[in-house]
Amino acid sequence: MMANSTTSSDAARLVTPTMLVLWLVLATVPLWITRIGLYPYLGIEILIWSLYALAFNLVLGTAGLPSFGHGAYFGIGAYAFGLCQFDIVANLWVCLAAAAVVAGIAGALVALFISHRRGIYYAFMTIAFGQIFWTLAIKSHSVTGGEDGLLKISRLPADFGLVSFDLTDNVAFYYFVLAVFAVGTAILWRLVHSPYGRVVAAIRQSEVRAAHLGYNVWLYKASVFTLSAALSGFSGGLFAMAQLAAFPDVMSLHQSGYVVMMTLVGGGLVSFWGPVIGVFLFLTARDVIGALTNAWMLYFGLLFMAIVLFRPEGIAGALSAAVQQHSINALRRRGTSAMRLLVGGGR
Amino acid sequence: MFDLLPHLLNGLTLGLLFALIALGFMLIVGLMEQINLAHGSLFALGAYVAMQLTGPRPPLPADLAKLWLALPLGWRYAATLVIAPVIVGLIGMLIEFCMRRTYGKDPLYGLLLTFGAAMVIEELIRLVWGTRDYVLQVPSAINGGFLFGDLIWSSYRFYAAGIAAGIIALVWVLIEKTSFGATVKAGAHDSEIVRALGINLSRLRLLVFVFGTMLAAIAGIIVAPIWGIRPHMGVDAVIPAFLVIVLGGVGSFWGAVVAGLLVGLCVGLAGAYASEWSLLSMYILLVAVVTFRARGLWGKKSVLEV
Repeated sequence: MMANSTTSSDAARLVTPTMLVLWLVLATVPLWITRIGLYPYLGIEILIWSLYALAFNLVLGTAGLPSFGHGAYFGIGAYAFGLCQFDIVANLWVCLAAAAVVAGIAGALVALFISHRRGIYYAFMTIAFGQIFWTLAIKSHSVTGGEDGLLKISRLPADFGLVSFDLTDNVAFYYFVLAVFAVGTAILWRLVHSPYGRVVAAIRQSEVRAAHLGYNVWLYKASVFTLSAALSGFSGGLFAMAQLAAFPDVMSLHQSGYVVMMTLVGGGLVSFWGPVIGVFLFLTARDVIGALTNAWMLYFGLLFMAIVLFRPEGIAGALSAAVQQHSINALRRRGTSAMRLLVGGGR
Repeated sequence: MFDLLPHLLNGLTLGLLFALIALGFMLIVGLMEQINLAHGSLFALGAYVAMQLTGPRPPLPADLAKLWLALPLGWRYAATLVIAPVIVGLIGMLIEFCMRRTYGKDPLYGLLLTFGAAMVIEELIRLVWGTRDYVLQVPSAINGGFLFGDLIWSSYRFYAAGIAAGIIALVWVLIEKTSFGATVKAGAHDSEIVRALGINLSRLRLLVFVFGTMLAAIAGIIVAPIWGIRPHMGVDAVIPAFLVIVLGGVGSFWGAVVAGLLVGLCVGLAGAYASEWSLLSMYILLVAVVTFRARGLWGKKSVLEV
């Protein structure tokens, strides 16, 4: 499915033209975002959630595993970032690594239990573990601060040995997150199009077939879940920096549901970039419609229902279908009868 | 041992309520192989509609409202037990009309569609009734408490548990002992053959779905006086419902009932010793069971697994 929207030459690249254009456009955002009535913090949020949704889509889109408790790993990463900063060492790189590692361990632990399961049982086991982590976060007041959250997390400076950048300003932090996002997307792109990613996609199509071809399905399912959890935790660490705090709210079932919604609305099932489109739409709609009416979730819910019903492949799917249709139409206009036959329009 | 008895009884009544909450969900999963995530929101909607109907300001024209309010509370409550589920059933009908398009596709789409519906209903509830808590009035005959062995027991809990047991029995008769149940089950198993036999399957599915949503509303009305009415009650209900089904095994009626009782006992007993963590206990129970039994207690093979 992934290959539908990608030409084979792009799949082999480290950095694709789309990626480059996206990064460049994103790099200009702080220059104009305040002029259209929005603010740089929204850009930060969109980038962090995009990274999170891309990590999540590794499980949902690439592996086809319905995980509905992914907020847990995002939240664990945020807490790990804060606690590392308070109790171990206040170094940005160590704390971000801690966020990824702790969330990865939690993900690996869950993967041990769920990787033999499929479908509804898989889905519900992920919900159950998500709820377990969420309850733990709320009830362990002494560690996580309970419902009040872990406050006073600071944006540590990005220290590169020779130079060190202060990230307390939102624009500076935006560029830091953009750099991380760029590296993250490049790595994820390579991962999805690597032999490993191909096997995972094969498991999505048929677990039985992949197993008969000699692949250790359990190991692939467990490892992709762990990877996704670690990267979600990493994004969670960034989010803790953005918010200057870590709250249990992102771990709740609702928030876990939102990331599923964003991924699907954008078209994560058919396109690598789907989750990014979905996050952009969701967070912008939240701010723009949310400023007009309190009931913006009502409208977004209706939009989501409409997309599931009429465009289940999401916005990215609809776009690529439109592009395809356009090129077919162009072929028809100037095509020979043989070409018409080829595209099925010759009748 | 005697110290434990109240907790056991409490857990059992709670278990029957969990089974009742899961019943409509189970019907739709078992007979249609569709997951209705809007179940919790419909459950909440049932409670809100009932509260509005039995409360001091029913949504009726002034003259009718006067007549309605003149009736004793017992009558109004009994009528509400019928009217509120019918109203919620109409909403269920709307959802089914949308859901039709997803039949035959990956069950994930039905699940996502109903997740969207749940969001919409929850937001509508917030718009209409706000975020404050409400209380559902019940007739004095089933309210209050009684003394037994030095302890005060709430009458309503026993009434609720009794109703739950009765409805569970009725539903069992309907799906296991009537031709309606047999046809619907056959339709879930092999829709082509059932259609070829001249049965209007889409009408049958509509009926099942509406019936499932009405059961959600009834559960909401029965549980509301115990849990209170607030926007979050939908989520509080749909997770245990889902959990009970997965624990009992998809497609097993008695599995769901036993799972409901187990979850109730588990939450009740955990509540006695570590009330902070009582809700966590049901997830641990689920993980423990599903780790060793892939399809829950008595689950059957289902399309929802792939």
